[in-house]
Amino acid sequence: MMNLVYTYQPLFDYFLLAIGYAYSQQMVLRAGVFSIGSAGFACIGAYGVAILVRDHGMYPLLALAIAAAIGCVGGFLLSIPLARLRGVFQAIATLAFVQIIVSLALYFDELTGGPQGFNNIPKQVQTWHLVLAVVVTVYFMYVISRSSIGRAFDALRQDETVGATLGISIRKYHMIAFVLSGALAGFFGGMQSLYSYSIEPEMFGFAFLVAALTYIILGGRGTVTGPIIGAAIMSLLPELARPLAENRQFFQGVLMMVMVAFMPHGVFDGLVLYLRKRRAAARDKNFKEANHAGAGS
Amino acid sequence: MIAQQLVNGLVTGSVYALFALGFTLIFGTFKILNLAHAGVFMSGAFIGYFAVLYGLPLWLALVLAMVGAGLVSYLVELTAFATIRGSGQIEFGALISSIGANLCLMSVAQQLSNTKVLRFPFGTFPVRFYEIGPVRFSFLQIIILLVVMVLLAAMMLYLYKTTFGRQIRAVSGNERVASLLGVNPALVYFQTFFISGALAGVAGILIGLSFNSIHFYMGEPYLLKAFVVVVLGGLGSVHGAVVAGMLLGIFQNLAVAYLPSALTDTIIYSLLFVVLLVKPSGLFGSEGVQVGVARR
Repeated sequence: MMNLVYTYQPLFDYFLLAIGYAYSQQMVLRAGVFSIGSAGFACIGAYGVAILVRDHGMYPLLALAIAAAIGCVGGFLLSIPLARLRGVFQAIATLAFVQIIVSLALYFDELTGGPQGFNNIPKQVQTWHLVLAVVVTVYFMYVISRSSIGRAFDALRQDETVGATLGISIRKYHMIAFVLSGALAGFFGGMQSLYSYSIEPEMFGFAFLVAALTYIILGGRGTVTGPIIGAAIMSLLPELARPLAENRQFFQGVLMMVMVAFMPHGVFDGLVLYLRKRRAAARDKNFKEANHAGAGS
Repeated sequence: MIAQQLVNGLVTGSVYALFALGFTLIFGTFKILNLAHAGVFMSGAFIGYFAVLYGLPLWLALVLAMVGAGLVSYLVELTAFATIRGSGQIEFGALISSIGANLCLMSVAQQLSNTKVLRFPFGTFPVRFYEIGPVRFSFLQIIILLVVMVLLAAMMLYLYKTTFGRQIRAVSGNERVASLLGVNPALVYFQTFFISGALAGVAGILIGLSFNSIHFYMGEPYLLKAFVVVVLGGLGSVHGAVVAGMLLGIFQNLAVAYLPSALTDTIIYSLLFVVLLVKPSGLFGSEGVQVGVARR
């Protein structure tokens, strides 16, 4: 039993980090913003924490708080120009943002180590820290989704024009989404750098944002449970697909296409929608039957 | 020195243009971003490589790569896009399912090449140089420029002078109206994806030849560059993509020569960001593009 725990502990830890990034990605998508900038904020957070803790000996928790704050400010700043863009254009602009951050991390090599990566980061984060961070984040996401902010996000995602006519400020709520997303990405980026000894710019490139998007597509955009399911599938898939060996990546690609085609809302959101529909249908049926029997008693 | 960089830049840029053209053609016609374009590009290089390996002459390999990549591109359309058309989530869904298709293509290529970098057999292409004044051309550079020019001309003729081209442009304007007027959308889908893939396939084998390295993740940097080219030229604008591709190639060569190389990417992507904000329709984009940019 202990063996099993030791074997799968790294997998579990990366699963927890993935949940953090997935929430950061979900936050913007939920508000109807097609931003893929989380990778950039994670990169800033990771390097910020690594530099503060290793080179300046800062207390890790304070460094993490600073990383989250930088993410907030970054999200705020990014939201101002991006308010002008929509849809695919937002995605391309945030992709450019990620590429700028990564290329800057490569350029300032005396600060960041450049392409060799940033090494010898003290390992301050254990599994239980990650668990704690994820639990707090889940609670936080749940609170937000139940608050007026979450309802405003849902309205804007489903139809921006209707949202605006209901008095929801598009600019304000998109900015909130960017700020929260940036804070989460910055914080979990910092966690990752304190967890994994070393980081390098390419870790936060194109592959990173593809992964973060995949968690949300698989899990779902509208619920708190969705990203956990998505991250779990993507983390467990390589283990479950071990018999497929080299075909693993192929399998992952097929899965993504199938999911988008047949469960466009994601596994969890799709399930919730399906159950809701079925319950509504059953209720209708009961109602009709009751009317037929003339049960007025 | 500058003249040499300009020539090198023009050659690189012409390949960028070729790659970006197919990308922008699909965006302009169907309003979807086809991220699997990178995989199609790579599969063109692979098909060309294996054709050469089996002893076929290079021109035949080029033709095979073109046709093969075109068919791969159509396969991507069938598996990744045709399935989600009409689901109302095409903009978001297409991005994800084309990433999936790209993963599939890369995985196949990875196994074909055993994760190794493939190189063309020695002497596949004669190494010859010509000098005009201070500028040195390689034979390969001349061939690349020629092939790209011929393809671009053929493409322009096809799009603007034939019935098929008119149909493609009609669908890009308004698919419903076009099909009411008797355009067969299925045929337009096939043609657009085939042409786009064929262009990417040629770009793939040309890049494979000029760097003499073919590997399964070779498409990604070009895909990222294609975003810059396509936005700079105006999303969906064909001649914009050509001009912007050439400009980017020249700029990149000059920047590599005169600026720290890591900063080149920073400048290019900052340019992309700024263009999106200041003039999202790009250098040659139509007003229609701008409508898609603004608030729905």
